[in-house]
Amino acid sequence: MRIDQSHRPWAVATVSILLVALLAYIPYQLFYPGGPAGNTWPGLCYGVLGYGMMLFAGLLGARKRVPLWRIGRAQVWMRGHLWLGALSLPILLLHAGFRARGPLTLVLAILLTVVVLSGITGALLQHFIPKRMTQVVHLETIYEQIPHVREMLFEEAGAIVDSLCAVPANLPAVASHSTPAAVAVAEDSPSDLTEVQRANLLHVYRSGMVPFLRDPEGNRSSPLSSRAKASAWFDALRRQSPPSVHEALSDLESIFEEERQLIIQRKLYLLLHGWLLVHVPLSVTLLVLGGIHAFVAIHY
Amino acid sequence: MKTLELTIDDKPVTVEEGTSVFDAARLHGIAIPVLCHAQNERPIGVCRVCTVDCGDKVLQASCVRPAENGMKVFTASDKVKKHRRMILELLLSDHPSPCARQRVSGDCELETQAAAEGIVAPRFSKRVSPRGQDDSSLVISVDHEACILCDRCIRGCDEIRQNNVLGRGGKGYNAGIAFDLNRPMGNSSCVSCGECMVSCPTGALTNKSVVRTVLPGGDPVGVEELKTLPFFQKVSGTFLDLNKNAVIRRHFKAGEVICREGDYGSTAFYILEGEVEVFLSSMSSKKETAKEAPSLFEMFAHVFSPKKKPGSPAQNGGNIPIDSVVDLSLDNPVARLGQGDIFGEMTCMNLYPRSATVRAKTDCVMLEMLRNVLDVIQRNKTLRAEIEKNYRKRALEDHLRTVSVFSSLSPEFIENLSRRVELVRYSRGEVLCRQGETARYFFLVRIGFVKMVEEHAGGDLVLAYQGKGGHFGEIGLILRGTYAFTVTALDNVEVVRIDAEAFQEMLAGFPDIAFNLKKVATERELHNQRHSAAVSAMSLEKFLGQGLMEANSLLVIDLEKCTRCDQCVRACSDAHEGVTRLVREGLRFDKYLVPTSCRHCRDPLCMIGCPVGAIRRRNSLETVIEDWCVGCGLCARNCPFGNITMHAVPETGAPKAALAKRKATSCDLCQNLPEPSCVYACPHDAAKRVDPNDFFRDLISPSIDSGPFAAPDVPHGGRR
Repeated sequence: MRIDQSHRPWAVATVSILLVALLAYIPYQLFYPGGPAGNTWPGLCYGVLGYGMMLFAGLLGARKRVPLWRIGRAQVWMRGHLWLGALSLPILLLHAGFRARGPLTLVLAILLTVVVLSGITGALLQHFIPKRMTQVVHLETIYEQIPHVREMLFEEAGAIVDSLCAVPANLPAVASHSTPAAVAVAEDSPSDLTEVQRANLLHVYRSGMVPFLRDPEGNRSSPLSSRAKASAWFDALRRQSPPSVHEALSDLESIFEEERQLIIQRKLYLLLHGWLLVHVPLSVTLLVLGGIHAFVAIHY
Repeated sequence: MKTLELTIDDKPVTVEEGTSVFDAARLHGIAIPVLCHAQNERPIGVCRVCTVDCGDKVLQASCVRPAENGMKVFTASDKVKKHRRMILELLLSDHPSPCARQRVSGDCELETQAAAEGIVAPRFSKRVSPRGQDDSSLVISVDHEACILCDRCIRGCDEIRQNNVLGRGGKGYNAGIAFDLNRPMGNSSCVSCGECMVSCPTGALTNKSVVRTVLPGGDPVGVEELKTLPFFQKVSGTFLDLNKNAVIRRHFKAGEVICREGDYGSTAFYILEGEVEVFLSSMSSKKETAKEAPSLFEMFAHVFSPKKKPGSPAQNGGNIPIDSVVDLSLDNPVARLGQGDIFGEMTCMNLYPRSATVRAKTDCVMLEMLRNVLDVIQRNKTLRAEIEKNYRKRALEDHLRTVSVFSSLSPEFIENLSRRVELVRYSRGEVLCRQGETARYFFLVRIGFVKMVEEHAGGDLVLAYQGKGGHFGEIGLILRGTYAFTVTALDNVEVVRIDAEAFQEMLAGFPDIAFNLKKVATERELHNQRHSAAVSAMSLEKFLGQGLMEANSLLVIDLEKCTRCDQCVRACSDAHEGVTRLVREGLRFDKYLVPTSCRHCRDPLCMIGCPVGAIRRRNSLETVIEDWCVGCGLCARNCPFGNITMHAVPETGAPKAALAKRKATSCDLCQNLPEPSCVYACPHDAAKRVDPNDFFRDLISPSIDSGPFAAPDVPHGGRR
C-alpha cells in the first residue's frame, strides 16, 4: 500500500497512542514496586493492548478470505494492519519492560522484531515497486499468464521466421504453426531473402533467438537480454537483409522487448510479494506462541 | 388473345400468347424450381435455376422464355436436372449454410431446393474474400455472405415500392446489393418498409424483430388498428406485423407520471388522446451545494487566476432544452403537449436518460414504442414532413431562443426563417461538415451529440462536444468562408440547418445578433488557437481513442498503488458465483489501468439488437443482463471494449428442458450491495469506480464542457 497523505489520521493516532503509552510508562518505571514486568497490572495492560494489536494485524489475512463480508473496507483493515502492527512492537516492549525473562519471551521478542521489520520492508517495497513496475513494464500481463504469453511469443517468433524463410517444412527447430495467429502471420509476411540470407537467419534464429525464448531468465549473457545490445543485434541483421523484410524483423525485435519486460515484471513481482514468505509464517508463529505465552503466564 | 399450344413434360397445355414457359407450367400444375423470380416481380432470369429444355440449342431460363406454339418443354429431364443441380451447387458454394433464415425458420429457398436435389455439400470451394455483414439498420439485418444476387430485393424496392434505394454495387467477386451509393443500410435513405426483406429468398435480409419483448403494463395494438392511425398509416404492414410487441397502448389517469427525469428508458411516446405537462422536478428543489472552505493555496491561486463561475441557464438562454418538440421556459419550466405530439425521441434513439418528467394533465391514451418503430417512422418521408411541420410551428422559436445570441430575433423573422430551415438527421459517425469545405450552413443541434475536431497532420484534435442547444458554422460563415473544423455525429443526431443566404439575411437585419455571433466566432477561433497550442493532444487522443468519454462508470486501478494482489478479481468472482466479471488487464491511461469490466456506457451499443431485451437499464445507469438471456452473444460482439463475456451455465432442472447453455455476463456494479465488491475489497485503495470525465479532467485539460463551445449550462437528462 502506498503511504501517502491519506495515512495522516492513522499516523497521528499511532503516534498519540505511543506517546500516551510512553508517558504512562515513566511513572510505572520510576515508582512501581519491583520495576516494570509483564506480570504486573500495568504490564498486563500493555500486553493485552499489544497482543490485541497483533491479533488485529493478523486478522487481515482472514479478512481477505471473505472479501464480500461488509465488515469494513479492506483498505481500512490494511491501514490498521500497517500502523497497529508497527505499534505493537513498542507496546510489547513496554509490556516486557525491555527485558526477556525466559527462552519463550526471548523467542517472542526476536520473532516480533523480525515480523515488524519484514512488514516495514514489505510496506516500503509495496510503496515503491508498483510505481517502478508501471514505469518500466509497459507490456505488463497477469503474473500467472506469463508462461502462456511466453509460449505465444515463441510461436509468433517462429511463424515470422518461417514466413521469412518460406520453407516451413524444412524447419524442424522452428516453432510449430498450429495456432491460427501464427498461421496468419506466416501467410501474410513477405519472403524476399536469398538462400544465403535465409540460411543466415535460420542460424541466428536457432542459435540466438530460440535459446533466449525458451529460457529467457537463464540466458542473461545473450545479447537479446539487453535492449541496447538487442537493438544493435537486430540492426546488424537488418543490414544483411533486403528492406522488404525489415518490418518483420522489427516485429521480431518487439517480441524480444516484450520478453525482456516479462523478465522485469517477474523479478519485480517476486520482490513485491516474496517478503510475504518470511512475514506470513513468522506472523502466524508469533500469534500462536504469543497465545501460549499469554495462557501460560496467566494460568500459572 | 391468341392462344398457343405446347407440351410440357409430355402434357399438352394451352396458354395465351406472351405467357412465359414458367407461368405456362405453373398454370398447369407443373412446378419448376426458381430462386430469382417472384410472382409479384418482373422476371429477369439471373439465377438460371428454372432452366428447362425447350428443344433449343441451349437450355433456357423458363421465367424469361416465352412459350411458343408447338414447343416441347422438358422440366425434369436428366440433362435439365444435371444442369440445375450444378447451378444449385455453385450458388450454395457462395452461401453460408445454414444461413440466418434457415437457422431461424428453416425456409431458405436455396437451401431447401438444394436439399430437395440431394445436395449435402457443394463440391466447389467457398469464396476466399468475405463480403461481410451490415448491422447498421435497427430493423433489418443484412448478410451479404448469404446473398445470391437474385435481385428480388432490388425489384421489390425499386419497382414495387418505388423507393429506389437498392441497387447493385461492385464487380465480379465484389458484386453485391447496395443501399444508395453503397452506404450502410442504417445510414442510407432506406425507409425500412421491409419489402426487400420479404422478397429475399435467403437469409441475406432478415428481420430484427424484438421477439418476446413485451412492454409491461400496456394493451397490445393490432396491425389493422395501427394502420387506422394517421401516424402509422405509412408504415409498412409487414414491418408492423413482424414487430407486434414493439408498440403498445397505455392509459394514464390525470396526475399520473408517465416518465420521470433522469430515468433510463428505451421508448418514445405518441399522444393519442389527452394532454400532458412536461416539467423538471429538480428545478423546484434545486439548491446550491455547500462547498468546502477554500484552502490557503486555493485562495492564493484565486487572487492570481480568478475563475469565473459558469454561466447560469438564465445567462445562456431563456429555455431549457428537453427531449420533446418543445423546450421549457426557465421562468416557468412547464410545457404542455397534446394529441399528435411525440416525446422521448432522444431517450429512445440514443438510450439517454429522460430529460424531463412528463405527467398526465388529463386522462391520456398514448402509444409507447421501441426504437426500431420510431426509426421507421422517422425515416418515412410523409411522417418526417409532419414532424418537421410540427417542429417549425411549435419549437423552432423556442429552440433558437435557447441560444443566447438569438434571443433578440423578432417573431416576424423567425416566421420567415421557419420556412427556410430544414431538420436533418445524421447517424453515428456521419460527418455534418468538414474542415476546409466551403461553409454553406449554420447548424443548431436538436437531438444527440456531435464532436468537433480540428484535423492536423499529426492527428486530430478534439475541440469540443455539443449537445442540444449547441451551434456551429458561424466561424465559416462569418470569418473564414470555410468550416474551421470537422463535425461528426456521436450518436443519432438531428440538427436544424440554416442555409448561408438566410443566415446572412439574419446578420444584415439584426445588427446586434451579427455583433454577438461575430464575437462568438472570434472567441471560438482564439480558443481553437490556444487549445491547439496548449492541450496535450496525446492524452486527449488517447482518452478518446480508448472510448473513456463514453463511460458512465469506469473501473480504474491506480497502478502506482496496486500491488497486483488480485483481491479485486477474487471479490468479483466471489460476488458472482465464481464467475468473475473483471479481468485485471486492459489499456492504460496515464498511471491508471482500465481493466476489462463494464463501463456502463452512455450509449450502450451492447443493448442494440438483444433479441429478448435481456440486456437493459433499469431505472439507473447500470447496464444489467437479466436472467432470461438466451446466450446469443450479440451483446458481447457489440461491446467495443470486450467487457461482456459469455460463460457456460450448468444445465439444471429437467434433462429435456431447453435451457441456455451459455449466458452473457458483465459487471452490474454489485447492484445489491452498497459498493462494488472489487472496490470494497481492494486493500490498497487502488481500485475505484469513477466518472471518467470528472476523474481525468486534469489530465485531458480544458476540452470538455468548458470554453466558448460549452453548451448552455442546463440540466440534461438529470445527469451532467
